[in-house]
Formats: sequence, C-alpha cells, structure tokens
Amino acid sequence: MDNGAKNLKTISLHISGMMCAACVAHNEEALSSLPGVTKAVVNLATGKARVEYDPDKVTLEDMKKAVSDVGYEVVLDNMQLKIGGMSCQACASNIETAVGSLPGVGKVVVNFAAGSAGIDYVPDITSLDEIRNTIHELGYDVIERVEGQEALDRERDARQKEIRRQLINLIISGTLGTIVMIGMLQPYWIFPAFIPGWLNNKVVLFFLTTPIVFGPARQFFINSWNGLRHGVTDMNLLYATGIGAAYGIAIINTFWPDAGFGGKDATFYEAAALLTAFIILGRYLEAVTRGRTSEAIRRLMKLQPRRARVIRDDREVEISAEDVQLGEIIVVRPGEALPVDGVVTEGNSSVDQSMITGESIPLEKGAGDEVIGGTINKTGAFKFRATRIGKDTALSQIIKLVEDAQTTKAPIQKIADKVAGRFILGVHILSLITFLFWFFIGFSLWFTPQSRMMLTPYSLSLVGAFGFSLLVSVTVLVISCPCALGLATPSAIMAGTGKGAEYGILFKGADAMETTARLQAIIFDKTGTLTKGEPSVTDVIALDGNDKEVLHVAAVAEKNSEHPLGTAILSGARERGIEVEDADDFEAIPGQGVSVVVGGRKLLLGNRRLMLEQNIALEKLLPEAERLEYEGKTVMFLASDGAASGLVAVADTLKKTSVQAIEELHRMGIEVIMITGDNRRTAEAIARQVGIDRVLSEVLPEDKAEEVRKLQSEGKIVAMVGDGINDAPALAQADAGIAIGSGTDVAKETGNVILVKDDLLDVVAGIQVARATLRKIKENLVWAFGYNTLAIPFGMGVLYPFVAQLVSPELAALLMATSSLSVTLNTLRMRGYIPPVKRRRQTDSVSGLESLPSA
Amino acid sequence: MKNSDLISALIYTGISLLAAGLFIVATLSTQYSNVDRFGGATWVFILCMIILMPVIIPAVKKR
Repeated sequence: MDNGAKNLKTISLHISGMMCAACVAHNEEALSSLPGVTKAVVNLATGKARVEYDPDKVTLEDMKKAVSDVGYEVVLDNMQLKIGGMSCQACASNIETAVGSLPGVGKVVVNFAAGSAGIDYVPDITSLDEIRNTIHELGYDVIERVEGQEALDRERDARQKEIRRQLINLIISGTLGTIVMIGMLQPYWIFPAFIPGWLNNKVVLFFLTTPIVFGPARQFFINSWNGLRHGVTDMNLLYATGIGAAYGIAIINTFWPDAGFGGKDATFYEAAALLTAFIILGRYLEAVTRGRTSEAIRRLMKLQPRRARVIRDDREVEISAEDVQLGEIIVVRPGEALPVDGVVTEGNSSVDQSMITGESIPLEKGAGDEVIGGTINKTGAFKFRATRIGKDTALSQIIKLVEDAQTTKAPIQKIADKVAGRFILGVHILSLITFLFWFFIGFSLWFTPQSRMMLTPYSLSLVGAFGFSLLVSVTVLVISCPCALGLATPSAIMAGTGKGAEYGILFKGADAMETTARLQAIIFDKTGTLTKGEPSVTDVIALDGNDKEVLHVAAVAEKNSEHPLGTAILSGARERGIEVEDADDFEAIPGQGVSVVVGGRKLLLGNRRLMLEQNIALEKLLPEAERLEYEGKTVMFLASDGAASGLVAVADTLKKTSVQAIEELHRMGIEVIMITGDNRRTAEAIARQVGIDRVLSEVLPEDKAEEVRKLQSEGKIVAMVGDGINDAPALAQADAGIAIGSGTDVAKETGNVILVKDDLLDVVAGIQVARATLRKIKENLVWAFGYNTLAIPFGMGVLYPFVAQLVSPELAALLMATSSLSVTLNTLRMRGYIPPVKRRRQTDSVSGLESLPSA
Repeated sequence: MKNSDLISALIYTGISLLAAGLFIVATLSTQYSNVDRFGGATWVFILCMIILMPVIIPAVKKR
C-alpha cells in the first residue's frame, strides 16, 4: 500500500514468539523507535505487525533486526515455484542472486535438480508478479506455483505446530506433574496403603521434576532472559521466577534440609511441576482459541478454487486458478466454484453468492451479468469472461480487508496494552514489597506453626522468615500474571470482523468497529440509500396544456444528464413514445438542475432554487407543485426563455427494507436523520413514509460533510450511510462512514464499514455485530482484570492472619489458567452469534414457508 | 559489549547490590538466621535486577 505524498509504505509482518500483551508493547516500541517508521501496530491474536514506514530511511532488514533484538522473530511468507528452463546449477545461482536482491525478499533456495524454488518474502513489498517477472527476465519459465493455497495455509501450519508443541509440553509436564503430586501425597490420609513409599523419596521427586523444569519450562527461562538482555520484561519472567524459586527451594530442602527453608517435608517439587503444567495448559488453550477465532478468514480463503477450466486454442484446458488471464473465457459446470470474477458470456444458471454477500437466495445469472469468484454455480453450465483476477478479485479484496482490520487496534485495546505493558514491572515491585513486608513485619506478627498452604499436604511449621516470605512473593508473581489480557480484545475483534464478513459487512478496522458500536446518530442519504434511487415520472403539468411537449423538452434537456432524476425523465419520455433529440448546448448546475439550448430556445429544468436564482416566476405552478411535493414527489420546473412553462414530477420508491431498518434503529436508541438535496416538503414526505423524524433537506452534495460536522459538534458519534462514491466526503467526515451496496469492488470504497449487499438491514446488523463485539471485549476485560484485582490480595496473604493458610503457587497457576480459559471460552461464544435482525428474518422466512398452502 | 550496555549493567547491578546490602544491614540487629539474611538478600537482589533492567537499559540507550 502506498501512502502517496509522504512516500510512506505499509507492510504487514508475521512475528513469532509473542505470548502476551507485553510482547506486543515491546515489538511496537522496537519498531517505532526505528528512524523512518511512522507507525507500528502489533496484534497478538494474529501475530502480525502493521508497519507504516519510509522505504528511503528504513529497510526490512532493519525491522527484522529490531524485532530480533527484543527477542522475537519476523517470519516471512514462503512461496514455492516450479521453474522451467534451468540447465545447470549456475542457473539456480543466478535466480537466487537476482530474486534475492529484490527488496522484501529474504531467503531464496533454488533446487536445480527438482526444478523448484522456495522463496521467503514480504508480499506487501515485492509481489509474486515481480518475482515471476524477474525470473522470466533471466530467461526461465515459472511453470506453476506449487499448491497455490500453500501460502494461505502457512499460518495455519505454524499455529498447528505451536498447538502440537504445547500439547507435547502439556503431556510431559501434566504426566510427570501428576506423578510428583501423587508422590507428595503418599504419606497422608489413606494413600500410604496403595502408593509405594519410594515415590515420596525427595531424590526421586527431584528426578521427576527436573525434566519438567529443563524441558517444557525451558521456554520461559529462555524467553525471559532474551527479553531481559534487551531491557524488556514479559509474562515469561513471572513464570520463570516462580518456577525457578519453587524448584530452587525444593533442591535446597532435598539436599540441604537443615538450611532453614522449611526442611525435608517442604520441598515444593509439585509446585514447580504443576505450575509449569498449568501455565502450559493456559498456553495450549490460547493457541487453540487463536486458531478458532481466525476461522472466518480461513473459511473465506478456502472459497478460492484451486483449478479453473479455460478455453485456450478452442479447447477446454484445466489450469491453476492463479494462472487465469484477464479476458480469458472460463467454463463453469453445475456445482463448481467460480475461480475469478467476470461477466457471463454464454449460458444461464443460478449462482449461490451467500458466502460473499450474505444473500441467502441464489441469483439467476445470464449473459451480461457479473459473477464473483469463490461463489458456487448451482444449476446450469455457463461461460464467463474474466474481468478481475488475482489480488483484484472481490474475494481477495474482502480477505485483505478483513485481514487488515484484524491487525488494527481498537482504542480500548490500546489502553489495555499500555496497562499490560507496565503491569509486569508493577507485579515485580509488588512482589518485592510483599516479600519485605512478610520478612520484616508479617512473619513475626502472624506466623504460627500450624500454617498450611491451600490444597496442598504441607505444614509450614519448619519454614523460616525467608522461606515463608519467598513463598508469598512467588505466589504474587504467578497469581498476578495478566495473560488473559493480551487476548481479551484482539480475539473478540477477530471473531467480530469474521462474523461481519459472514454477512457481507466489512469493517475496515477495529476502530471502525468500536465507533460503530458506540453510534448515537445515523444519517441516511435519501436517494439510492433509503429509496431505490430509480425514480420514475408520475405527473407532467403544462401551463399551456401540452403535457407531451413539456415531457419532450424536459427529456431533451436531461438527455446528457447522469442524475437519476434526469434518467427517469428520459425513460418516461421514451416509454411514452417520444423521440428525444440532442440539445445544442448543455450545462449541469450541481444541486439545482440543467440549462440547455434546444432549437434556439434557452431551457432551464431544475428545482425551485434554480428558478429563484434565475428570477423565474413560479406562482401559476406552485399550488400543483406543493401538492405533489406533499405527496413526496420531486418536482422539476421547466422554464423556456425566462418563463415558467410546466413541471415534471418524479417519485422515487422506498427500498423494501427501509422502514424495518429505521424501526430497528429507533428501537436500538439511535437517532435517525435523513439528508437530501430535495426540498423540505418532498424530503419530509419521504421521511414520514419511512418513519424518520429529523430531516436535513436542500443540502448540496458538497455540503453534506458540513452537515455531518454540525451533528458531531453537538457531541454525537455520527455515522453516515450512503454510496461510497457520491457521498465520499460525508462518509469520510462521519465517525463511521457506512458505504452501502458497494457490490464487489470493496477496495475502492471510502467508508470504514462496507456493506456488500444493498440492504439497509445490514446497517442494523453491522451495528449489532459491532455492539456484540464491544460487549465481548468488555466482558473479556472484566474476566482478565477482574481476576487479577481479586486474586492479588489473596496471593499477598491477606487471608493468612485469619486462616493461617497461604495460596500455593500451583493454585495461583491454576487460577491464572482458569482466567485465560474463561476469556477464550467467552470469545468462542461469538461463533454462534447471529445478529438479532438476521435471526428475526430467518424466523420470518421459515414461518413464511410454513404458512404456504400445501399442494 | 556496547558502551551503553556496560553503563546500564553497572547501574542496575550497582543499585541491586546496594539494595541487597541494605537488606543485610537491616537484618543484622535482629534474630534472623544466616539463611534468612543471605537468602533474603539474594531474592532482593534478583527482584531488584528484574525491576531495574527494563528501566535502566532503555533510559541509558535514550541518552
């Protein structure tokens, strides 16, 4: 993406190794501190960084180094190509050198024997086409991209690898941890009867726990050391200090039992083992959830067929969908998915577009109709000409839009990240204060030899001031970990944007979603938004009684106009069999009408403002005009050589769902306003029909943005709903610009919420999805922060003076894993969410079917 | 090791040692055992290092 004037570019980088919100803050700081980087936003849930930078000042290598300096790694996209025409190893070297020198390309490995190349690259810097062209220029053929879906599947593979890794760690730490726990319990209650005594031997427990600390728990020590070396702290440090301290005490009490750390009976091996197991359980669940929340985008990706059948040399040839060229004719059979976008040239069929537009009923397609790649041909076979391929197809644009949205941050998340980033440092300070308090004050005041740790067999009778204070201090570290915080917002945003895409509602960013959720007022453009935008002539009145001539002259005047009202008059004249010749001179007067010269006569056709400005007397036409306007019709006055001669009334009809949509919005407590260039009376008539109580009429197109600004100055959060091209300034001015009925060319739209379908109920559904997402974020934050707020005092030992029991580190870890689990499960509930307005519609259509008379 | 890294290391290690030293001094006049005294000082040193490293390193780098 090129940001033009400033020569800034934006790239998306995969970063591996991030575990928590603090990692996000470190990477953002590292990237932002580079000279030439103007903005860096990192998303934990997607594992991606979105960097806006000046390519003259900073390179990909600089970014990779900055990320690796703080302990993480930039992972480039990998692409596999089959290369033809290589005759020796030197050819492979040539390709490696040439492609490797392209900006944005990392490792290039060309295998001469296999005739293939593996290339690590950043698609935002160097595209696949540029790489292909470079290889072509060297004289080699790029025959076929091996498994086109491979790049798309890479992310899933990496995630599955992480899930597998954490699962192995979980199995090791869980199994050994359980054995250690059983061993620790051996002397108690009825256990001596069936647990062998040797399992409680401290040396045996040492040998069972050590593989956990140096195996599954190793990642925490390595990651926290990497971070500390570069002056940053993350969740790993909390775990490492917790596990390290528990393991350290256990070793001392095993091999030097008289050292004063609680003696042989307080070895805490199970604390180190189960602490590791519970933390890894949390990580495993997070890894699984991250995959689930991004399912929507993967589902979109899966829609892209891999093969296409094209006509080449008068024959049907099956090729990779990525090799389809613009203008090629593609053959589609019933049940097949369309590989690219195009226009039907031959045949008829019904096409299921629900996966792209959310429209549940298949649409009939015939010659001249547009079809969308990724949709399913239902009944007949047809041929179509490819009009958009590769990255330009609707599906690719939607995927890009949703992906981009998922890498942005909602304002609420920025605050959460900032808090999480500072939290870890705060926790260590709190841990130090807790240690000093219990060491110097608490221990001597409240310690009793009957002290125990909750849900453990230990008596703390032999523990000294240091051992006791250290235990409390370690528990604070473990219990305070805000792991759930890192996932609270991004996972909900991912689920929400994915859910929106399911219904053809595309949010351009997390901020757009948050703003949409908080909307207080919504402005609808009238023509083409609330109404069909295809008005037709309803009345013609001539002062001299010759209605046909008035319509004829009006049609001539409007022949070159592109305004919908002009088109209606022209169609009206043609429908009545009137021949419409060309005008001699034509001038459009924006927001007012047209001025033309026909057969030497100067004609004006337009609204009241035009007539007033041209000093045309309208008295004789006004009573009729007012009656028509009261009925909601738009009246166009006709003046010939400076005198009024008649009028043409044109009426636009409401869209099917307009009334219901406005009703729903009112029910949701949103103020609804209509904006139009029509006069007040016409506007109010339409508003009455649709149920809108506030109307902004006679607003020129260029003044719409100003009206939005006025509403914003009343302190309201305002959305503007209109078409993305004519209403672009107003959409841009609004807090949320909702572009409706954009069809498939979503990338060109100005709005920050894009509705693929031309259905006003999608505006309602969009707000409902956004509100549900924001609600989910707030719930998640309450789960994440609430847990910490409640758990920290217990971890610090506030209950100890009353019950003589401490929260054990492993219980703290279990609570922490529960917190992560509650956040992830809460987000997953979003998967089954259906916006109420859509649910009602589904119910209506089902009951409609049921009520059909039986044959 | 870069100059800034060395300066940072000297500062955070120095302050942490000082904190651990103060801890030992604070335990001298009372009934604490050597394990309490030196174990506690070690833990204070570790926590101080962890707290100070992310504060001192970027501050020195910025200067």
